[in-house]
Amino acid sequence: MSDIKLIDELDSLKENFIKTIDKLTKDLKRNQKIMDRSDKQQRREYDELQKKFIEVETLKKEIEDTQKEVVFTMGAIGESRSKETGNHVKRVAEYTYLLAKYYGLSEKECEMLKQASPMHDIGKVAIPDAILNKPGRFDADERSIMETHAQLGYDMLKYSNRSLLKMASTVAYEHHEKYNGTGYPNQLAGEEIHIYGRITALADVFDALGSARVYKEAWSDERIFKMFKEERGKHFDPKLIDIFFENLDSFLVIRDSMKDV
Amino acid sequence: MENLIIKATQYTPAIDFNLETNILSITGKSYPENTFEYYKPIIFWIEEYLKNVKDEEILINLDLEYLNSSSLKAYFDMFDMLEEANSEGKHIKIKWIYDEDNDISEETGEDFIEDFKNLNIELVVKS
Repeated sequence: MSDIKLIDELDSLKENFIKTIDKLTKDLKRNQKIMDRSDKQQRREYDELQKKFIEVETLKKEIEDTQKEVVFTMGAIGESRSKETGNHVKRVAEYTYLLAKYYGLSEKECEMLKQASPMHDIGKVAIPDAILNKPGRFDADERSIMETHAQLGYDMLKYSNRSLLKMASTVAYEHHEKYNGTGYPNQLAGEEIHIYGRITALADVFDALGSARVYKEAWSDERIFKMFKEERGKHFDPKLIDIFFENLDSFLVIRDSMKDV
Repeated sequence: MENLIIKATQYTPAIDFNLETNILSITGKSYPENTFEYYKPIIFWIEEYLKNVKDEEILINLDLEYLNSSSLKAYFDMFDMLEEANSEGKHIKIKWIYDEDNDISEETGEDFIEDFKNLNIELVVKS
């Protein structure tokens, strides 16, 4: 009799054991399934992420390139409306980069200034042709209209939230201010004039004086340097004049490599 | 027993369990920080509901565009519960709703159909 009881108990144990094993197997299979599904999902997500990341990078570059192109084109428009010709804005760009670099601005700022400074004369697009193209000297009225190009350039660019265009608006606004406060449009003096304005002022004048125009010969280096020394602390930031002479060779290399043809 | 309404968050779906209509809907994404804690009251509600419900038609709408693995586990457990209730004579219908371009959601629905042969699961493409 006891054997039969034992057999019953064993049968029941066996049944429970099989049930438990079945359940465990089912759970394991399910977990494996969840894991597989999850791995698959993760792989797709990561692929997608990589793809998006590349897309973002491409778009970022596209935006930067577009911005550079817009800025460069605006500079060219400004140039087409000014009496400066040839590689003037390109040389100004390089000079401003060097001055900014030697002045101690960050690489990023130097690079931005190089792109923004060619727009310094953009306001000239709004100056009437009759004045802009006048062959002789300006009378007082004409001169004051001519001088509005700084304000006009600023007004064109000031609403932009783009850092590069903001910088360009400052450059356009302040590149005719003089260190001693006798410039225009706001007679700012010393470091009231933004460093971008002070740098572009020097770069612009250096290039304009050294270039021949229909109405004038190119100045000799001797004459330019003499004038720069005289205008140290008057027209120009003395620190920038010092930097200019300390690194004169680098400026002359740029001038020689980007001559007007 | 009361209806269970939980608003969606960035990480959790919206819950709308209605006792009058017997429609239980879960809509959204599910990747909570603590999945177990999030689903505990929901699973508990369903358990209570299944005890009380008689032979009414029950419709469960699952529109889950994103599930992390522990959420997926929670749904497998939920389906176990539903399958058991079904075998005890409840009338449960499940709609697995997914976006046409969401392959993962579609495949998950297919997994459920494969694993729960005794449940009435219908795949529904969102219009």
